[in-house]
Amino acid sequence: MQYPDVGGAAVRLTDFVLRQGHLSEQALTEALLTGERPAHLDRCDLCAERAVVLGRWLDDVRRLGLEAADAVFTPERLQAQQAQILRRLEQVDQPARVISFPVQSRPAAFDASHRRLSPAWVGAAVAASLVAGVVGGRWSAQLEQANTGQALTPPRIEAPMDAGNAVGPQNVTFPDRDLEDLRLDGLMMLDEFTPTLTMTRVDRAGG
Amino acid sequence: MTGAGTPPVTAREADARVAVEVKALQAGDRLEAARERFAELVGRHQRRGLRIAYHYLRNAADADEAVQDAFVKAYMHIGTFREELPFEVWFTRILINGCLDRLKSRKRRERWMAPLPLDAQGVERDLAEFAPSHGPSPEDQVLSGERRRQLMAALAKLPERQRMVFILSHFEGRTSREVSSMTGLNESTVRVHLFRAIRRLRALLAPSATNAVPGRGRSSRAAH
Repeated sequence: MQYPDVGGAAVRLTDFVLRQGHLSEQALTEALLTGERPAHLDRCDLCAERAVVLGRWLDDVRRLGLEAADAVFTPERLQAQQAQILRRLEQVDQPARVISFPVQSRPAAFDASHRRLSPAWVGAAVAASLVAGVVGGRWSAQLEQANTGQALTPPRIEAPMDAGNAVGPQNVTFPDRDLEDLRLDGLMMLDEFTPTLTMTRVDRAGG
Repeated sequence: MTGAGTPPVTAREADARVAVEVKALQAGDRLEAARERFAELVGRHQRRGLRIAYHYLRNAADADEAVQDAFVKAYMHIGTFREELPFEVWFTRILINGCLDRLKSRKRRERWMAPLPLDAQGVERDLAEFAPSHGPSPEDQVLSGERRRQLMAALAKLPERQRMVFILSHFEGRTSREVSSMTGLNESTVRVHLFRAIRRLRALLAPSATNAVPGRGRSSRAAH
């Protein structure tokens, strides 16, 4: 928003209202950085003085900033960096070397036979080994059982008939045949409702 | 043209010419010649790039690497360089993006690793600064070094965008339009960032030197 000044130049309305026509910091900074000198500076000593102070400060900061960087990056360091950049560019340009593997690195003795093992043979050998292992294992177990007699038969554990729900988790690993002797009172009612194979046969014979 | 002979070539035209030549040499598989020509661009923009990276990253080693990476990237992707854009702007954009990536990775790294030694103002001190150096008298060195350190500390306190805009605009003397194309920020945003950066820096560096804007405070109002 601009307001026509008496002298012909334009000042911002905010400058006119809030600062009695004096330039704001932003206007002053923009004027200094862009080099477009507002006409107000020619008439106002106060703003001209502010512009000089700000300009000096900006120059000082610029000089210090450049000095700070140049103090760190000496000409020797620049030269070293340039050489390093060129070395890296050379590496970029070099085509990647492809290492032949494994043909060239294969041992000569291994290569001399010129035989290749078919994958089918490998599979057959693995299968045969597996079968031999299983058969051998079973045969060896039978042989051991024959030698030791009843040693392999697990001890028969009588399930408690009277104690209600006395079967605990420790008895869960019974052989199958021992399960027939188990009586779980909690399940007896369910068992009575369930028709068994013998009952079905009797029903059929009767019917 | 009025004068005899060839007109003077501007830096921008010279850069563009070299960049186009490098592109052509790369395409023709004359890589050594391409590198030699590219070295001209490196020599021309190296110092400027280092200043930008150093003020932005506030660490000499990081700035060194960032500039190297930017040149390597520019060489590798020079095929995408368009002549209508100045090489300087194109390269600076690559450099700024690299600096931003470095800042991000530095922040991640600092979560796990001990930071570099800090000075009184909390600015990272480059290890190279601890080495003895040759130059003016020790007193001058101490004084100017102190002022530089104060400036660096004040710059470090600026938000990233303000710092970048200030560095490009004020240290490098770029116009708002150029800074806009280098950073991808809007031109008016660049101006706002620049003004805020200057205001903040003035407050940080020399509070007593900051001129009171007439009409703002009661005392100045009364004076008028």
